[in-house]
Amino acid sequence: MSRIQFIEPVTRIEGHAKISIQLDEQGQVSLARFHVLEFRGFEKICEGRPFQEMPGLMSRTCGICPVSHVLASSKAGDMLLGVEIPIAAAQQRRLLNYAQILQSHALSFFHLSSPDFLMGMDAPPAQRNIFGLLQNEADFVRRGIRLRQFGQRVIELVGGKKVHPGWSGPGGVHHRFTSEQRDEILGWIPEATESLSIALDRWKGLIDSFRPEMDFMGNFPSLFLATVNEHGGLEYYDGLIRIVDGRGNAIAEKLDPKRYFTYLGEASEDYSYVKFPYYQPFGYPQGHYRVGPLARLNVATYAGTPRADRELKEFKQRGEGAVCESFHFHLARLIEMIHSVERIEELMANPDLYGENIHAHASLNRREGVGSCEAPRGTLFHHYWVDPEGLMERANLLIATSQNNQAMNLSVDQAARRFLKASASGEFEEGMLNRLEAAIRCYDPCLSCSTHALGQMPLVVDVIGADGSLIRRIARDS
Amino acid sequence: MRTLLIACGNSLRGDDGVAHRVLELLGARAEARSVMQLTPELAAEIAGFDTVVFLDAAAGIQTVIIEDVPQPTAPAPLSHVSRSSEVVALSIALFGFHGRALECRIPVADFAAGQQLSPVAERFANQAAQLLRERTS
Repeated sequence: MSRIQFIEPVTRIEGHAKISIQLDEQGQVSLARFHVLEFRGFEKICEGRPFQEMPGLMSRTCGICPVSHVLASSKAGDMLLGVEIPIAAAQQRRLLNYAQILQSHALSFFHLSSPDFLMGMDAPPAQRNIFGLLQNEADFVRRGIRLRQFGQRVIELVGGKKVHPGWSGPGGVHHRFTSEQRDEILGWIPEATESLSIALDRWKGLIDSFRPEMDFMGNFPSLFLATVNEHGGLEYYDGLIRIVDGRGNAIAEKLDPKRYFTYLGEASEDYSYVKFPYYQPFGYPQGHYRVGPLARLNVATYAGTPRADRELKEFKQRGEGAVCESFHFHLARLIEMIHSVERIEELMANPDLYGENIHAHASLNRREGVGSCEAPRGTLFHHYWVDPEGLMERANLLIATSQNNQAMNLSVDQAARRFLKASASGEFEEGMLNRLEAAIRCYDPCLSCSTHALGQMPLVVDVIGADGSLIRRIARDS
Repeated sequence: MRTLLIACGNSLRGDDGVAHRVLELLGARAEARSVMQLTPELAAEIAGFDTVVFLDAAAGIQTVIIEDVPQPTAPAPLSHVSRSSEVVALSIALFGFHGRALECRIPVADFAAGQQLSPVAERFANQAAQLLRERTS
């Protein structure tokens, strides 16, 4: 009789999830799965409300990437109005998206994952955390916090409020960008640039010591999907969808994100509330794909800023056409942070950002609207249907984390088979379990950010015997 | 004496947004910050204050509790969601915070999706506001 081992909830990621590990009669892993148990239901709250309220409402689906939801929602609203927004408004939205990428990636890299890198995957959990880093790596930790603070400050300066920026809505934005805002933002650039150079050099020096993790924490061919500009370069706010395979071959190009439902499908599995999106022409599950930093760097042919272009060129040499190791999400995040800072600085010198015309006025012209953008974790789609009065009839959100759902499951399974070896008494070493979690943390999933009040997330490991009884429960505060 | 009030919670999750209601009741009494969840950069932001109060919803208590933020008993890995004790500890270690840090925990009853506070949360929001007025006056 096989045994099921549960690890729940996964620590240091958002929301609630668990990992189940099925062992065969010899005690070897036969299957591992990543279960998402939290049901969000925000789409339901939208029904019956004016579509103009959606950006503000949708921003509260997530405490980490509210700007992404504001942008996708605003763009869906732009489509409902049937307008093309002024260039100054589009540039302002771009600016905040880069700030959002920066602050979110800083949290993921410096706070959530760097303890694994700097202290080692096998370090005791009591030390392998941000406080453990303070003794020897205080400057590194401080720089990570300051980078995040920079991103948040840009959002606050322009958006007015950090978490629920209501500065953008259907038709554009509500306030002009000012030279005072520019001056403060420019003041942060040198420190941000220096911190990212230090972090990148550090990470490049360490990365080869993680060869087993690279090879067995989600190393498989898959499709990669991301937004690119008309020339195939990195684009986060407005562009076309491009899909490449695990060899870097273009599978689909210049797909309209507003028509995502014609080429992306969503499958369901009974063990997860999160759906399993796939590329329709390939079917499910063969058409599963990855989104986010790794996908963007695989899909884009160039970055468009000097330092990021150099790093992207070097990054691409790590794969044969495409970099397939999910462990390289971390390196991709660093490169995207560098790119974001370069773009922010570039935008400060762009006269379009300072334009007076920031809003296109119109009444409702369509009953259906789709907005998309590149959120920190990947491509985000908001799809709205409204009645003739502009009241929401239905909403569908296709979020980045769900698009990586199948990849996370494959990564957990691969890591479990490689790293988990139970002792005779059914125990696993801490470092083994951490590698399982680290496989998921590569994707930095954000499963249900809106449930902060549910408290801390202890790691619980249940060891279930062949007869189904609980042999051992391991718990640690995390 | 500079005091910073940090209200934490998601106002789309019913009573989880009670801390924001307390800030509304207090008006412009102190410098304030509304956040959906605590995050590490708050460690830098609180550094210049003499007192910081973290306001949050709490299930399973019967009255408003204002008490010192505990020292983290064991270093804990951070989620996207930080604890107040972690924010304070980071601020002390990295940004020189040497003020007083308090938690104001407000009893609540219902975390269901929606923007309305329950009568229980509304009542205790008023109590919390009153207690904070006394503390900051």
